[in-house]
Amino acid sequence: MNEAEKEYISPVGEGLYSANTGDWRTQKPEIDQETCSRCGTCLIYCPTSSVRRADGRFIINLSFCKGCGVCAAECPNGCIAMTREAKR
Amino acid sequence: MSEIAVMNGNFAAATAARLARPEVIAAYPITPQTPVVEYLTQFAAEGNLGSKMSEVESEHSAMSILSGASMAGARCYTATSSQGLALMYEPYFRASTLRLPIVMNIVNREMISPQSVWGGPQDSLTLRDAGWLQIYVEDNQEILDTTIQAFRIAEDQRVLLPINVCYDGFYLSHMTERVEVPTQAQVDGFLPPYIAKHQILDPARPMAIDPLTSGYLVMEYRKKHMAAQAAALGVLAEVDREYESLTGRSWGGAIASYRMEDAEYAVVTMGSVTGACREMIDEKRSRGIRVGLVKIRCLRPFPREAVMRALSTVKGFGVIDRNVSFGWNHGIVYQEVKAALYGADRIVPSVPFIGGLGGEDITMDLVSTACDTMIEAVDAGKTIHEAVWLWSPRKGVKL
Amino acid sequence: MNALDLLAEREDMISPGISACVGCNVELTLRIVMKVLGPNTVLAIPPGCMGGVGVVGWNKRSGAKVPVFFPLLDNTASMLAGIRLAYDAKGKDANIVAFAGDGATVDAGFQALSGVAERGDRIIYICYDNEGYMNTGYQRSSSTSKGSWTSTTPVSKDGHGGKRQNGKDFPMIMAMHDIPYVATASPAYVPDLIRKVEEAMKVRDGLAYIHVYNPCLTGWGIRAEESISVARLAVKTRYFPLYEARRREFRITVPVPKPLPIENFTSRIKKFSHLGPEAIADLGKLAEDRYAFLQSLCRGKDNNA
Ligand code: SF4
Ligand code: SF4
Repeated sequence: MNEAEKEYISPVGEGLYSANTGDWRTQKPEIDQETCSRCGTCLIYCPTSSVRRADGRFIINLSFCKGCGVCAAECPNGCIAMTREAKR
Repeated sequence: MSEIAVMNGNFAAATAARLARPEVIAAYPITPQTPVVEYLTQFAAEGNLGSKMSEVESEHSAMSILSGASMAGARCYTATSSQGLALMYEPYFRASTLRLPIVMNIVNREMISPQSVWGGPQDSLTLRDAGWLQIYVEDNQEILDTTIQAFRIAEDQRVLLPINVCYDGFYLSHMTERVEVPTQAQVDGFLPPYIAKHQILDPARPMAIDPLTSGYLVMEYRKKHMAAQAAALGVLAEVDREYESLTGRSWGGAIASYRMEDAEYAVVTMGSVTGACREMIDEKRSRGIRVGLVKIRCLRPFPREAVMRALSTVKGFGVIDRNVSFGWNHGIVYQEVKAALYGADRIVPSVPFIGGLGGEDITMDLVSTACDTMIEAVDAGKTIHEAVWLWSPRKGVKL
Repeated sequence: MNALDLLAEREDMISPGISACVGCNVELTLRIVMKVLGPNTVLAIPPGCMGGVGVVGWNKRSGAKVPVFFPLLDNTASMLAGIRLAYDAKGKDANIVAFAGDGATVDAGFQALSGVAERGDRIIYICYDNEGYMNTGYQRSSSTSKGSWTSTTPVSKDGHGGKRQNGKDFPMIMAMHDIPYVATASPAYVPDLIRKVEEAMKVRDGLAYIHVYNPCLTGWGIRAEESISVARLAVKTRYFPLYEARRREFRITVPVPKPLPIENFTSRIKKFSHLGPEAIADLGKLAEDRYAFLQSLCRGKDNNA
């Protein structure tokens, strides 16, 4: 049985609910790894926790990224470009 | 061995709460419940009560603290009256729909206005549809016994609902009577610790309590809530029997009948007015009038079948209400009893009475007159639809 | 652990997909706060933006990886106090935490919160102050800044209207309860925010209260990518100073020796766009007065800049 179909006598929720916020994106961020100084500012300020650190590099996981552009605006080196999201 | 003591109703309630060993107590003082809070804090000060206690800033917070504590799996107790209950309404309703088995004594007091601090169950009766179990009791022994039993009923896995044990302000809360108090060991044996299984705020088992919920699930939860209310009737009877084997005292479960075996007429009561009515019944019986008494103990769930059975053999009945149902022109208990009889084979004449509002006395004379009025109407085959008011005339006052 | 390592390495305790507005700095604040608090936390989210966007969950599903629930709008602090008492009774411990909007805190929830503060119930209460009832379309609260357009303090076509009163200085009101820890914080000053949550976690003898100032993109009219920069400007103009107080021991944690003109902040926000120079100057004066008052409370500390 799916967790979500579990019988409860009172309103209880188990298992994670996620909205597919990646679908909201009208623009998408891209980090220029050449100019990136690895400061991590984008990771600190990304509201959706979409920026990850791997082997000292910063990469964006677009699954839940809403395309807000905060990372691009906060990057001290201007190395994140926001480009139009192709129509889905 | 159990101990015999003389105590008022508030002390009986506080003693029951102490014996039940609640893990969390939060209560705000209000007349006539105030001494309950004082007794409990005194028990704690003397080391006779191990509960975590909160001296809250309002009844709203009292019920809110207990809701949080119950969601974290604690056994919880509080008490209140009238305006305090009204202030509590928001978390009160929610405690039942979250299925939190909180025990709360309600020391019944009239709702204002006019400004009044005296007795009357209008406070809790007005909230009869908020999903709690509600039991109304008649004397101090019944307060103590029923409050102890209330924990068992509320926490039963078939029920899991909060419960009110309601008793009259002043008539019971401040009057002393002889009360037999069971020992701690007896109560411990009767009342195992509460284990929350249906929901728990515990990082070891992360869950959301009360996520946003669609209408179809709201309906599912309401239906289960109603089923739990229905199940409480059986559990109440079971718990009453077990308590009897422990203490020798049974309170009859959902209703208690008195001299109903061959009765032609019945008087239906709830709460402390029952005592006066019982005496009145004896007096009528001594004059050959075959009248009996049905005392409603459990108002939620309403014991529809038991009431129907008890009243299906009489020629007619009257109901004495110490409250009003605005818009019906009679009392709430009358309305409930009438609804229960809808499924009966025969519909018999009946008479609604209203009296004893705001702590006004309902004397033997008044209940005797009520009984006569009822018998007269029943013999004439007539139902009176608007309440007959029971009151003693006062100079310069017109009803 | 520095802020970046902490945020990079700790598990996100909130569902990855919650329906907060694009760029919302409250979503950011919640994720940061929860990474600091970690899994041994019970989280209360009263009605408001974060409840509305699904943090408590949806239809038998949860929006968080920790125990989470909806208190009522007006009883968050009391419900948490009850959980603490139950945990104490059972000999358990956890962070017992509220993440509540300003409506649930400075308005409807104030009595319960004040009661908890006075009684010394050990909970952590975090208020995300976006100056109004944003979840229902931006109605005013008692935290809304003077002059603000809101749906209940509308502005006429010729530019008259907006809220007529200053917002409550709520963190100061909480500090005056003599509680063990009060702090203000900003999503633009993340290391400061993280440290304050860690301080709150250390409190053993009562309420820890953190008031976060979260400019609301949708309600205030701010471009999504300016989410952080506007929050930063609130601090740099002294409109929202960052400080902490331990039972009347005040300390400014991010001193602002040379404040930027208030216009730098207000000009980025549409809800102030109808205001003339005088009204804007009044907001600047309020900021200066409150900052001066705060400095006077810091009593000779070296951060009186
Ligand atoms: S665009 Fe916004 S959501 Fe996407 S990675 Fe950048 S900051 Fe995060
Ligand atoms: S903020 Fe810019 S420079 Fe810093 S890690 Fe991110 S992309 Fe690189």
